[in-house]
Amino acid sequence: MTTSRTAAPASLLARVADERQTGALVVGGHPGGAVYVLEGRVIYAESPAAPGVGELLTASGRLAGRTWQNALDLGTSTARVGRLLVDQGHLTQGELELCVLGATYDAAYFALSAPEAPTDFLPGATHWLGPVAHIDPGAITREVRRRVRLLDEIFPDARVDTAAVTPAPRAPRERVTITALQWELLVHADGQRTPADLALLLGKAGYATIQELRRMAALGLLELPEARPAEAPELVRLPRMRGTAVDVQRPVVGSGKEPAAPMVRSGNEPAAPMVRSGNEPTVPVVSGAAPVRPGPAPPPPPPSSAPAAEPPRNAPAPPRLARRKPGAKLPKEVAGETPPVHPGTDEVLLKRIRTALRALR
Amino acid sequence: MAIPGAVGASIVDYTTGFPVATTGAAPNNDHEAAAAGTADVVQAATSRSLYVSAVPHDLLEDLIITTAGGYHLLRPVQTDFDSRLVLYVWLDRAQGNLAVARLRMQKLADELIAT
Repeated sequence: MTTSRTAAPASLLARVADERQTGALVVGGHPGGAVYVLEGRVIYAESPAAPGVGELLTASGRLAGRTWQNALDLGTSTARVGRLLVDQGHLTQGELELCVLGATYDAAYFALSAPEAPTDFLPGATHWLGPVAHIDPGAITREVRRRVRLLDEIFPDARVDTAAVTPAPRAPRERVTITALQWELLVHADGQRTPADLALLLGKAGYATIQELRRMAALGLLELPEARPAEAPELVRLPRMRGTAVDVQRPVVGSGKEPAAPMVRSGNEPAAPMVRSGNEPTVPVVSGAAPVRPGPAPPPPPPSSAPAAEPPRNAPAPPRLARRKPGAKLPKEVAGETPPVHPGTDEVLLKRIRTALRALR
Repeated sequence: MAIPGAVGASIVDYTTGFPVATTGAAPNNDHEAAAAGTADVVQAATSRSLYVSAVPHDLLEDLIITTAGGYHLLRPVQTDFDSRLVLYVWLDRAQGNLAVARLRMQKLADELIAT
């Protein structure tokens, strides 16, 4: 615990390396991470935004979760989990080295790319994986800088790296070619998962994930995060809904208390705050998402809370609908606002009856 | 080196163009530049999937670039876990044998993982 201060993580790493120290460089902030140094050489790095060796090996099915857990149980205290896996024949040395190298550079990007972050050095700390690779810290910091640059060359918008991923509802062109990883990302992007979530879920390198996301953003395959950060970003990551009806109600509810209001509203409301901000761009995007929602529909409360505001707000909505008319879904969307009220109550009733019946059986 | 005529070789992460490991010489004595170039070539061949999607379930095996003075062979390294690595071997044109090198490289790429 020498230095608990805000500093450039990379320069502190360089200092530690010069002094040939052993320990862990812990970087705070978002996403932050830790770089483990053994006598001035980097042996491992980890970050919440980058899947570690364990995640990579188990998510891909290369190792059974049980095997990995066994190795952890046996080897953690003596810091030789990596050796153990090789000795037990679960992994080859080549695989382990490549995996560790990949994971280390990946995590190092997230830990070290911030120009400034609260940084601590914990002397003497080692990593349970044990020394597998010994990497020159200079090579790592150089590579981190290069990776930062590479991303900006692809698409210079860092919001893509952290915001929840939402695929564009409509392809920007007639024909789109995507890579296998891009496909996986699109399929698993649900408007709530962040790039880090996706990387962990799929067992893909965090940097590679971000890279593909930036490429897709450049292609127009992703909806860009709204430019309004700070207000309720970290606590609640709500799905983005697209529906004109939702859009209209938004202003009333959203402004004062972000977390409380959306909770009550279940599915429908949350979308509103985000959609609201960029009125013009969202209009063409609206697409067919709304019709699906009425089904689950337990939004009896919303109408009661915001009824007063609704009528006046409705005025701007009609022109939009008219524009969309070719899709012929407008009536449904308009109607979609009210019907849910009844089905919603029915649903609750039905559920109660069903549970009652089950209890009788 | 097991491949006759090989001048240098490296393992390159082709998403980032980073040389994970290098040995021997590199064109212009710059492994990092060679790796960046390698990544560009692999990306070009795979990202549009022009060649590898010509028939269903096709998979990129290797890329061969010939120059007046040498051969440059690129072969993706298949790992079970997520990685995007390609093996790059630079062959001297006079001493190298393309067919032999290709077979050896296949073995090398497999052994990298298997041992």
